[in-house]
Amino acid sequence: MSVIEINGLTKDYGNHKGIFNLSFQINEGEIFGYLGPNGAGKTTTIRHLMGFLTPDSGDASILSMDCRTQSADIMKHLGYLPAEMAFFNGMNGMQFLNFMGEMRELKDTNYRDELIEKFQLDTKGKIRKMSKGMKQKLGIISAFMHNPKILILDEPTSGLDPLMQKLFSDLLLEEKEKGKTILMSSHSFEEIERTCDRVGIIRSGELVAIENMHDLKEKRRKTYVVTFDSPTSAKSYKENTHFDKMTVEGAVVRLSVLGNVSAFIQSLSNYRILDLSMESSTLEDIFMHYYNVPKITEKVDNQEGGSL
Amino acid sequence: MISKPLFKATIKQNYIVFLIILAVLMLYLPIIITMYDPATQDSLNEMLAMLPQELISAMGFTGAGNTLLSFIGTYFYGFLILLLPMIYSVIVCNRSLASLVDKGSMAYLLSTPNTRSKIARTQALFIFISISILIGFVTVIGITLSEIEFPGELDIPGFLLLNLGALLLYYALTGIGFFASALFNDTKNSLAIGAGLPVAFLVLQMISDVGKSTEFLKYLTIYTLFDPQKIISGDDFILSFITLVLIAVATYIGGFIAFQKRDLPL
Repeated sequence: MSVIEINGLTKDYGNHKGIFNLSFQINEGEIFGYLGPNGAGKTTTIRHLMGFLTPDSGDASILSMDCRTQSADIMKHLGYLPAEMAFFNGMNGMQFLNFMGEMRELKDTNYRDELIEKFQLDTKGKIRKMSKGMKQKLGIISAFMHNPKILILDEPTSGLDPLMQKLFSDLLLEEKEKGKTILMSSHSFEEIERTCDRVGIIRSGELVAIENMHDLKEKRRKTYVVTFDSPTSAKSYKENTHFDKMTVEGAVVRLSVLGNVSAFIQSLSNYRILDLSMESSTLEDIFMHYYNVPKITEKVDNQEGGSL
Repeated sequence: MISKPLFKATIKQNYIVFLIILAVLMLYLPIIITMYDPATQDSLNEMLAMLPQELISAMGFTGAGNTLLSFIGTYFYGFLILLLPMIYSVIVCNRSLASLVDKGSMAYLLSTPNTRSKIARTQALFIFISISILIGFVTVIGITLSEIEFPGELDIPGFLLLNLGALLLYYALTGIGFFASALFNDTKNSLAIGAGLPVAFLVLQMISDVGKSTEFLKYLTIYTLFDPQKIISGDDFILSFITLVLIAVATYIGGFIAFQKRDLPL
């Protein structure tokens, strides 16, 4: 059964900005990753789901209720983490959580306190003085604390350190166990890879593909950098093997492998290898490799520590 | 149908500016009331005579008859009551919706099971009640002080009518502020209308009071609809009152509709 349904959703801001004829469904109990570079339309899609925007055409519904007109009813079952942290002036963490609880008429605060404990959030500090990561934790707790059936998370792990990211991934998997339906957007492939069942890739407002995570990994091309003991062995390696995009630079060979890596590893066994590392591919590379779409010239913001 | 937690949060956010404006009003009101002393009237008039006539007219300090009501009507309701609660109205109206949308915290409010209408209603109710309390305080304190200082001197029904006029004026002004707050995405635009318009009205009012050549400007300002001397003398103020009520109703309803319909960039 599909919990979130988007049909032909279009919002044209002019200048090729916006989203165009988006259609996809998210089924009950799945974690759906919504992947795309900044400015691709992820947040615009989510704003429609939250009922903040009226579509030019098409529609979006959650639990068979229209996102724009029945949003207050939808919100009874939904937890939302906005991309930008904008809390209320002057409140401290606990006051904010209490306020949000009251707005939702939430009586049971056990799960909330459990989450505070889990993320080790100091709720006594004024929100204004919190770091980005602290604010992000507060937002996460506020989105999960009423145990909603559906979660919409806009770039949930931005600002979290790797340990907290891991904690968050675990939380998502726990929620999935409980049968929750989750939509999370990201511009980081690695972030989505850890938790999602399916991935929708959006680019310039259009859905490029919807893939099963498993299939996507199969198709993923990885770039390896191998350092041999001498330029001669590097050269001989290049002559004796056939991988894509091989380049030799002194004793260093750079090559890319699609899917199965065992052939690659076997090919190395006859050589003395000083170093082997993998270059993480950017989202743009992934697009190019998977879908042969031309590189977009607009600036792709690499603010998340180059984890793209 | 309002949201109680939001109402509480809004009170918490605004009570300080409310108290400041109230305190300033309460500072001036006693001074003006105690200044009314038939014995010292002449020296006050002498002092005013030293100032340029245009300045006095611009401040509305003309026609201060010789009753206590007309004295307060001139010196308090001619200018101070037009300025101080207006500052409160501008701040509170901007905070009610536009600033929440601008900062993005509206996203949190709308991610709870509360409709946009309910949130707008809650904020509008706060503005409406708090401005009523503000003018109410002025009314009660004005009567009390007058009775203490000059027992029996104040025409109380006339004073109540004067304050009713001021209250209706503020229903209209907060209506304009609320409408601007509901219509615009950012504080900048909300303030341009919500604050710019009342301030422009006030300036036009002051200029139109100066002389015959600028008198036509009175048709361009809402403050013409609140004329203390007309209210005190009982001259056709009914139509002005009705117009103020109509402006208030139209702008508040307009605000609800605008906020309900529009796209929010959250």
